[in-house]
Amino acid sequence: MAELEQSEGKPNLTPILDMVFQLITFFMLVMNFKAGALDTSLRLPVVGSARAVDAQGQTSLLILNIDKQGNLNVYGQPRPVDSYIAGEAQAELLAARRQNPKLQFGDELPTTVVIRADRATEYHMVHRVIETCQKYGFRNFALKALNKEEGT
Amino acid sequence: MARRKGRRSKAEVELNLAAMLDMAFQLLTFFILTFKPAPVEGQINVRLPPPVPVLQPGKQRDIGEMAPKEGEVPRGVNTLVITLNNNLQSKDPGRALSYTIGEYGEGTQVGTPEQLNNRLREIFANPINPFEQVIIQVPSRVRYAELMKVVEVFTRQKLPAGKKLSLSFVELPQEAAGGP
Repeated sequence: MAELEQSEGKPNLTPILDMVFQLITFFMLVMNFKAGALDTSLRLPVVGSARAVDAQGQTSLLILNIDKQGNLNVYGQPRPVDSYIAGEAQAELLAARRQNPKLQFGDELPTTVVIRADRATEYHMVHRVIETCQKYGFRNFALKALNKEEGT
Repeated sequence: MARRKGRRSKAEVELNLAAMLDMAFQLLTFFILTFKPAPVEGQINVRLPPPVPVLQPGKQRDIGEMAPKEGEVPRGVNTLVITLNNNLQSKDPGRALSYTIGEYGEGTQVGTPEQLNNRLREIFANPINPFEQVIIQVPSRVRYAELMKVVEVFTRQKLPAGKKLSLSFVELPQEAAGGP
């Protein structure tokens, strides 16, 4: 009787738990939590010479998604171009003043504006965004593109 | 003594891992379901100051959006102008059919980005090329992808050591960009 109790079918769960935790660790490491700022529905233009992102020395990035209709999307929500960029410029200016207190409104900001525009967007819509950024002091732009067509 | 040993072994602390495993599987399911590997994106870094009024050598004409204010002397920046030409009457008005290097209507016209590349290579290979800035004029209806083709051609050019060119984009009102 005692022998029967001891040989009860209790599986040893430790190895499976180890494996599951390893899988969780893997997925957590490969997950890009910043991807929420990127609108993945956009079809970026294909430019062979587009370089991989080098974030070294970058203080901050302002990511602007522009869809086919020319809407500026931030975290999936359409935003008015002028007021959104003005607000971001104000925030970036306050942050930049910690390094350079003499910085005035309209001066060049150290932030890089990342333009993620759909390849089919008409130019005047992209131009409106670039022009507004320039008006508020942004000078450095990163134009996003794919190195090769998706699925090739 | 034997009894004591038996009691001790029965009272061993056993951690119930089933609940922890349930939670771990839930986490794993969440990560698997939300996992979407993003395609590797590249980027072209450009510095885009607002367009400045420019004066082509020997010509009293401003290129760019901003005309000089009254009493202001236009800056004499030698500028290479690349214009994308589209055709509003065609099936695809968003496509650039040709590229003009120089002022609109007066420059050299090329048909493909590859030809544009060859022409720009010739220009920039000349050590005494006078250009200090490049303006890309884009008709408002042309697609962004067409502009990126030109930007790519431009980024492929090799400039003489120490020489820097500034780049600006200018929107051409659609009426002004007729094209062939």
